[in-house]
Amino acid sequence: MKTRTRLICIANVAALLLAAAPPVRAEGDADRGEALYQGCQDCHSLDKNDVGPRHRGVFGRRAGSLPDYPYSEGLKQSGIVWDEASLDKWLSDPQALVPDAKMFYHLSQAQDRADVIAFLKERAR
Amino acid sequence: MAGNEKAMLDRRQALECMVWAGAGIIWTVAGGVPTSRLIGEAKAGETGFSFVQISDSHIGFSKPANPDARGTLKEAIDKILAIPNKPAFMIHTGDITHTAMPAQFDDAMQLIGGAGLEVHYAPGEHDILDAATNKAYLERFGKGATGGGWYSFDQAGVHFVSLVNVVDLKKNGLGYLGPDQLAWLDDDLRGKSNSTPIVVFSHIPLWMIAPEWGWGTADSAQALQLLARFGSVTVLNGHIHQLMQKVEGAVTFHTARSTAFPQPAPGTAPAPGPRLVPAGELGKFLGIAEVTYASTTSPLAIVDSALAQ
Repeated sequence: MKTRTRLICIANVAALLLAAAPPVRAEGDADRGEALYQGCQDCHSLDKNDVGPRHRGVFGRRAGSLPDYPYSEGLKQSGIVWDEASLDKWLSDPQALVPDAKMFYHLSQAQDRADVIAFLKERAR
Repeated sequence: MAGNEKAMLDRRQALECMVWAGAGIIWTVAGGVPTSRLIGEAKAGETGFSFVQISDSHIGFSKPANPDARGTLKEAIDKILAIPNKPAFMIHTGDITHTAMPAQFDDAMQLIGGAGLEVHYAPGEHDILDAATNKAYLERFGKGATGGGWYSFDQAGVHFVSLVNVVDLKKNGLGYLGPDQLAWLDDDLRGKSNSTPIVVFSHIPLWMIAPEWGWGTADSAQALQLLARFGSVTVLNGHIHQLMQKVEGAVTFHTARSTAFPQPAPGTAPAPGPRLVPAGELGKFLGIAEVTYASTTSPLAIVDSALAQ
């Protein structure tokens, strides 16, 4: 009985550790990200609001915080701060992360997402 | 193998180059059978009437893929003006503007008006971004339209239907018609005989080209069901900025090029979006491609001639 309890405890601790561990993300290549960013320009640019908000300074910014862009309510209230992890989730499926998000564009490959994030982090400051 | 691959790439590149920056498509309807060819290839002695389709002019877009969307739209209009037999009218299958600003619409309509043709528009998702721009679009274009801006008209026995599938987009940006519009379509088609040629146009394709990129319409099957009894149905769309065609029974689906910038073919890029073409190569690309369309017993059949030798 004691052994069984201990095993359950070990399993629970392991599960907690797994849940807490940061997901493994691909290393980003900003050069490739810059090329991929070409495709984002149907709706975005670095310095001007377009269909979507401008991206200069997006890394580290609170989601929905530009005063001159009409975000969805959900994004404004999300509390998200854009870092590697949140951008990776967003770019995987924006409307899964924030259900009323206007954006539906996504990148299905982790490497593509990592490259675009590296570009935004390093060159869109 | 490498040689074949190169030949295929050349052909694909030629197609991509051909489709993006040219003018538009001219459609001729004779005996209820619409046929099409690229503008510039129009031949004299045609019977019936013709109309022109342009799409995705994105006025307001000014990025590396095309810093001068006004200039390429103007080029398209000039080519339309040069057609020997004046088309009866023009259709624009959406994304007239890039960000739905009134000044962009004014600019686009002034340029398009240069063709001296009546123009029938369908909105793109860049023309209706939210409730306010939807209202503005309907105020500008909605005369004679019903509900959310859908309408129909007749020309020489052909029934034209303009649908709106850019509001309330679905997963990955798939288009959506909605029950109100489908009910209207059912009613609109009810009195038409099965032999009436039907031309349906909207922005987002009404066939599933690439659902993972949103290149299709979530409830288009219901619209196509309503169209199934007709002997000749031609569906004209834009949105994907490249030529694609499919014939399914009596229905021919066709997507038009953009006058502004190209997009990648499905499966050739991680995602859709403006595609950068090397500077200086545009003119060469425009000059090298040729597509010949020929009608057969199908409602619309396209035969492409040799594109890259």
